[in-house]
Amino acid sequence: MKRTFVVSSIGAAGLCALLLVPMQGCTNLDETPPSAISPGNFFHTEGEVLAALAGVYAQLRGTVDDYYNLNEISTDEMVVPTRGQDWYDNGTWLETHRQTWTASSPATLSFMNGAWNTAYAGVARANGLLDGVKNSTVPNQATMEAEARYLRAFYYYVLMDLFGGVPVATTSEIMPRERVTRDSLFKFIESELLAIRPALPVKWDAGNNGRITKGAVDALLANMYINAGVFTKEGAGAGGINPTGYNACTGVTVVGGTACQAAKDRADSVLLSSAAYALADSFPKPFRSDNGTSAENIFVIKFADEAGLGLNFVMRALHYSQFTPGPWNGFSATSQTYNAFDSLDRRRRVFLVGPQFNVETGSPVKDRAGNPLVFTTTIANVTNATEGEGSRIYKWPADPKHVAQDNGNDFAWFRLAEMYFIKAEAELNGATGTPTPLALVKAVRARAFATDTLSTLALADLLRERTFEFAGEGKRRQDLIRFGKYTAAFEFKPSVTDAHLILMPIPQGQIDANPLLQGHQNSGY
Amino acid sequence: MRFVRQALPTLALMFATATSLAAQNGTIRGSVTDSTTKQALTGVTVRIDALQREAQTGPDGSYTLDVPAGTHIIRATRIGYAPQSQSVTVTAGGTADASFGLAPQASLLEAVVVTGYGTTRREAVTGAVSTVDAAAANVGVKTNVDQMMQGRAAGVEIIQNNGEPGAGSQILIRGGSSISNTNDPLYVIDGVPVINVPTEPSSYGVGGTPALPRNPLNLLNPQDIASITILKDASSTAIYGSRAANGVVLIETKKGNRSGGPTVEFEAYVATASPAKHLDVLSGSEYRAFVEQQVPIFNADTVACRTAYPTPADSTAWKACFAAADGLDPKHLANLGTANTNWEREVTRTAYTQNYDVSFTGGGENTHYRASLNYMNQPGVAIANGLERLQGSLSAGHSAFDNKLRLGVNVTTSRVKNTYITFENTGGFEGGVFQNVAIFNPTRPVQVSDSTGTHYYEVIGSTSVRNPVALANQISDKGTTTRVIANTSVDYDLATGLTAKITLGGDHSGGSRQLYYPNDNPVGEALGGGLARQYDLDNTTGTIQTLLTYNKPFGENNTLDVLGGYEYNKFASNLFMAEGIGYVTDAFSFNNLGAARTRNDSSYAQDWKLVSFLSRANLGFKDKYFVTAILRYDGSSKFAEGHKWAAFPGLSASWKLSSEDFMSGGPFSDLRLRVGWGRQGNPGIAPYQSLVTFAGSSGANYPWGDASSNGVIPTGNGNPDLKWEQTDQYNVGVDFGLAGNRLAGSLDFYQKNTSDLLLNVQVPPPAFSSTSLQNVGKLKNSGFEASLDWLAVSKPGFTWRAGLVFATSKNKVEDLGPYTFLRSGQVSGQGQSDQWSQRIMPGQPLGTFFGPVFLGVDANGHQLFRCSGSSGGCVNGETITPQASDYAIIGNANPDWTAGLTSQLTRGKFNVSFLIRAAVGLDVFNNTALVYSTKGNALQDKNFLKPALTDPTGLHEPAIFSSRWVESASFVRLQNVTVEYNLDLPMLTRNARSARVYVSADNLATLTGYSGLDPEVYASAGLASRGVDYLSYPRPRLVTGGIRFVF
Repeated sequence: MKRTFVVSSIGAAGLCALLLVPMQGCTNLDETPPSAISPGNFFHTEGEVLAALAGVYAQLRGTVDDYYNLNEISTDEMVVPTRGQDWYDNGTWLETHRQTWTASSPATLSFMNGAWNTAYAGVARANGLLDGVKNSTVPNQATMEAEARYLRAFYYYVLMDLFGGVPVATTSEIMPRERVTRDSLFKFIESELLAIRPALPVKWDAGNNGRITKGAVDALLANMYINAGVFTKEGAGAGGINPTGYNACTGVTVVGGTACQAAKDRADSVLLSSAAYALADSFPKPFRSDNGTSAENIFVIKFADEAGLGLNFVMRALHYSQFTPGPWNGFSATSQTYNAFDSLDRRRRVFLVGPQFNVETGSPVKDRAGNPLVFTTTIANVTNATEGEGSRIYKWPADPKHVAQDNGNDFAWFRLAEMYFIKAEAELNGATGTPTPLALVKAVRARAFATDTLSTLALADLLRERTFEFAGEGKRRQDLIRFGKYTAAFEFKPSVTDAHLILMPIPQGQIDANPLLQGHQNSGY
Repeated sequence: MRFVRQALPTLALMFATATSLAAQNGTIRGSVTDSTTKQALTGVTVRIDALQREAQTGPDGSYTLDVPAGTHIIRATRIGYAPQSQSVTVTAGGTADASFGLAPQASLLEAVVVTGYGTTRREAVTGAVSTVDAAAANVGVKTNVDQMMQGRAAGVEIIQNNGEPGAGSQILIRGGSSISNTNDPLYVIDGVPVINVPTEPSSYGVGGTPALPRNPLNLLNPQDIASITILKDASSTAIYGSRAANGVVLIETKKGNRSGGPTVEFEAYVATASPAKHLDVLSGSEYRAFVEQQVPIFNADTVACRTAYPTPADSTAWKACFAAADGLDPKHLANLGTANTNWEREVTRTAYTQNYDVSFTGGGENTHYRASLNYMNQPGVAIANGLERLQGSLSAGHSAFDNKLRLGVNVTTSRVKNTYITFENTGGFEGGVFQNVAIFNPTRPVQVSDSTGTHYYEVIGSTSVRNPVALANQISDKGTTTRVIANTSVDYDLATGLTAKITLGGDHSGGSRQLYYPNDNPVGEALGGGLARQYDLDNTTGTIQTLLTYNKPFGENNTLDVLGGYEYNKFASNLFMAEGIGYVTDAFSFNNLGAARTRNDSSYAQDWKLVSFLSRANLGFKDKYFVTAILRYDGSSKFAEGHKWAAFPGLSASWKLSSEDFMSGGPFSDLRLRVGWGRQGNPGIAPYQSLVTFAGSSGANYPWGDASSNGVIPTGNGNPDLKWEQTDQYNVGVDFGLAGNRLAGSLDFYQKNTSDLLLNVQVPPPAFSSTSLQNVGKLKNSGFEASLDWLAVSKPGFTWRAGLVFATSKNKVEDLGPYTFLRSGQVSGQGQSDQWSQRIMPGQPLGTFFGPVFLGVDANGHQLFRCSGSSGGCVNGETITPQASDYAIIGNANPDWTAGLTSQLTRGKFNVSFLIRAAVGLDVFNNTALVYSTKGNALQDKNFLKPALTDPTGLHEPAIFSSRWVESASFVRLQNVTVEYNLDLPMLTRNARSARVYVSADNLATLTGYSGLDPEVYASAGLASRGVDYLSYPRPRLVTGGIRFVF
């Protein structure tokens, strides 16, 4: 009987479960991710907002990939030759250098698409933060919002530089949006920068250096104003960008007057802020791994010797045996650029040429065949180069404390030297100011020459000087377009290319994804 | 609640009455024999349907059933025999005899089919269902269920990822219904759905494609499997609703026997495995000869250069002069070693697998049980890897109240230890073990001795080649999974024909992975001076099923089965990883993370729920017309608010034509027509994709003031409209039997339309990530399947059965939403970044190869491709630099048809069987040949595949993907041959009731024109990619010898 009782109890309990389970609300399907947070329950403390802000900054690291590469490799400064079985990569690298891309060619699908997505992801992160803090009140909120808006403005600047006018969003909704004109994007970025400037400090304390300052605002505005003759035009053609001549800032009106005068004023605003900025006493200092506190760098991407947080320029350029882990032996300088340097110019030392050494141990290295590795300045056949061909730009030397490929050198999108150059260029275009353009450039050259013999400075000289000062800093495409030389023939790009290439094509996949972009591709593609 | 309070006493009363009825019983005994061979038949199910009571015949063919006094209809069924019924009357306390002589027939026509949430008589099945004879399929070395289904079910295409022990498989039932989602079927073990996710964390990779997961069903011992049933069409799978779009595999494990006394079975086998085919690379002396032949060419070509430039100069002209020369620079001569290393032989071996099974079965009137234990140790044919499994399972059943209450418990527990080969699939272009076998210089030794001792030879300073022996031996990569699957069920007959059932299921796996990349190896050195990782992955699934079934015969040969139920599944998973980098010694391996210079860790957790209401009605009319209607209503937490629930209906009917008067006297002993339609879903996506989420990660951190600050970034866009991917399927089928069912077959035509395909779609930015998971696109699969089964000979001492499965299917992408195409099938290897071999395009099947069309090689050794227009150096329709506009469709990875042929011949004490599989009309992209059959490898002192020696492609020509590397890969494979002998040597077998010895051979011979190692490939690089062959773990040839005793 006892057994009967046990069994019937089990049966009864089971039957109850059968009837009850569906009624007990076991149909609740709400989702709560345990390892993530919802925006609704975040942004409540300063620390939380600061963490989201770090995420907006973190996206800056992406700008030294595709955006940087396009700025260098599509110009006369750098080339990535095919080296035997290495670096063919579906022809993307040579397509970029030769400017043979189209709206759906491999380089566009890869590099242009990458640059587009990277910049817009930055915009989205900033919008996410700005939406999230709307209903919050936390200490230092105004400053953090200003930083997020600066970064968003910079990501839009990247898009404006590459693609012209693009869809603009200031909220988080994902929806198709129409392109705006390049000019109105320019004005949007300008108005954002002017609006946030008061909320930003002149300088941050040591524990926060690298965050956005008033100087960063001024430097970006100065750069935009000096490029106003390009950035406010929709493209090449009548009344547009001149593909073969200098595109002056004169004749463009911006907030605060003519663009050239405004460029000079903004440059001055940084130059005169002696409490915050000063030229380094030697050329290599702003690039070394200890450049975190360099007073020359105005707007930097902070890198650290931690996994995933470092700069990897050494990997792209150096030979397999020159560093551990083994670099990729890709990016080379053209001989045209190397040869343009005065042999007495100390800045030429950023090129690795001749017999090569391991940059960490200093011992001589061999190529894969076992011969001593020698970097030649020339590349005989860009589609079939040897391991040692092409000089390498080694401006950001290896960090002794690097973790694998991650080096702690910060990368400056704007440093003080450029403010000297912008002021000089603005003055050459009629802006009033002192000292003279020549004096300004010589002030920067002082650390590069034992005896500086530069005696005149016309616009053409200024472009040459910019090569010497900024080689490898991701400025070349912008400079060549402003000076009307981007589509000219250069080494490994023998023929003059079409003017429409001044603007990158909007990658076809992006047009597919946004119906409002259909029919609004940049002209010529 | 009031209802419950009232119901409880009522129920209690019912139990009490039921108990009192269980008094006067009688016994039915009998034996079952084969009516032609007159031999006793074991494993025959003898069942009284009305009482839900059954027994199995033992090795001597006998059975016993305890039943209430009265008259009962007993039915005897066994696969391969026509079912038989007889009526028996038993008196209280008496014994009645009921023996059967069953007539053999084609084994396709098994009597009872497992259909999900129950079983159905074959005649009443209205959908397309394949069954696999588990006993016939479990020959040779079988580590999991997938291998048992291969070639034995029509329309079920199974490709084992590679030859590594325990490797997973790619399974396509009727072509696969999804592009980005899983195409794996739903596995249901003993009625409980199994969440088929990897149980071990994936390894650390340096590039390449993600590691392929292990087969999660490695936990089941094939020896424990009683039956495998594959539900293919929507009308049969609809009962599994949202998870059934890719078909359902129902696995029933063996249960205890209520009669015949305790039985002990013992089986042991030993197998030898060796690589089935060898990679055709140059030997050391061939490589030396090649270099020696190429150097004079270079010298001759550069005579003029050396005259013009007696000393090396840094000028373009000097460089150009030497660079234009053919042949190899003399320095490569100096780089030749003196060794003659066959790297493939160094990393492979003949491996010996051992497997032992013991099972113990028994039972009595009310209780039955089966316990089994399995140990398997399967070393790989590559050095330093293998699989070891210890598995036990227990099943028990008990019935009470005159069999009105039935309790069941099944527990399977296993511990699988995997020793992995390093970087399988994740080695990047520097490659894993097998890639380096292809390129590592054969003139160099495995080991060298110098002042520091004996150590592995490595090319100093190189990251692009690695000593494969050192990779395999020095790098540790181990995984261990402990898994327990348990379920318990209670059935209670509430009234005649009305049964309530509750099943509780639990599935827990704890998987760990341990890795160490020693400082001694250049890989570990480059990772920061030794890198160790430990992972723990914990998966838990809980299932509750409640079912009410009602079945009632009415009128003359009319039946009604109705089923209603509720099912609740909850899955939770969490992962923990800890890493140490930088060790002063390799002695700790992965066992002392604390000794590392720097340490990192991370963790992650997720969970999701699936809730279902299900119902099914089967109506049989006059035993000729059958209709099945199914409605399942599923809710998944993974989808967006408002889209979490969806209904999955199915409707099907069959008509037994052979029972109609107008068919009598015709050739058909059995003829049935089936039609069906149903809708199913596919929820195989990660959870939380409908939500906007933020998370911290190292990628979100940012170093202000040089100290890294914690960051938080949005991790996904969230799609508030995310819903089910749905597949509508139509099926028309015919089942027939000829010559008294000695020849039987099934023919099925189907069409599957998948809509609302889940695809990661580029969204208009700004967005938190560039894509979001959306329901766009349509896919269509259609096809024809045939199964034939033939009992060719059946007489005393001689039986011959043969089976054929055949399938042809067409797959077509109908719509891709905003995309004109998606790239897939990523090309691997040096210089192949951003190169894709396949395009998914509307109007074309998945697995369409797309690239330049190869025309030949010109006099300068350049490859020529077809082109149009004048861009990119196009002359006379030929170019050496193909542009994107020159790309065309260059192949299709899907076979035109696949077939499997089985034969089983029993003559006296011998039993011989074989399985042949074939696939015809498919193309494979030979990625291995693309990147390794290039003489240019010698420029880097790397080896290459031998065919390159005689092809005219220049030494300096880069590897360019084109139609040249897309090959026809039709094949016929002799998959298995087994010879079995019934031992009848009492002095040897003592008191064993039966004993057998057997020899079995797997993967014996393959007939194919494909030049690579194996025409069956699965590289899994990219969306829905098919047919990409990148050197992977070779599939071995296995020879197994085994012995089986039953006591």
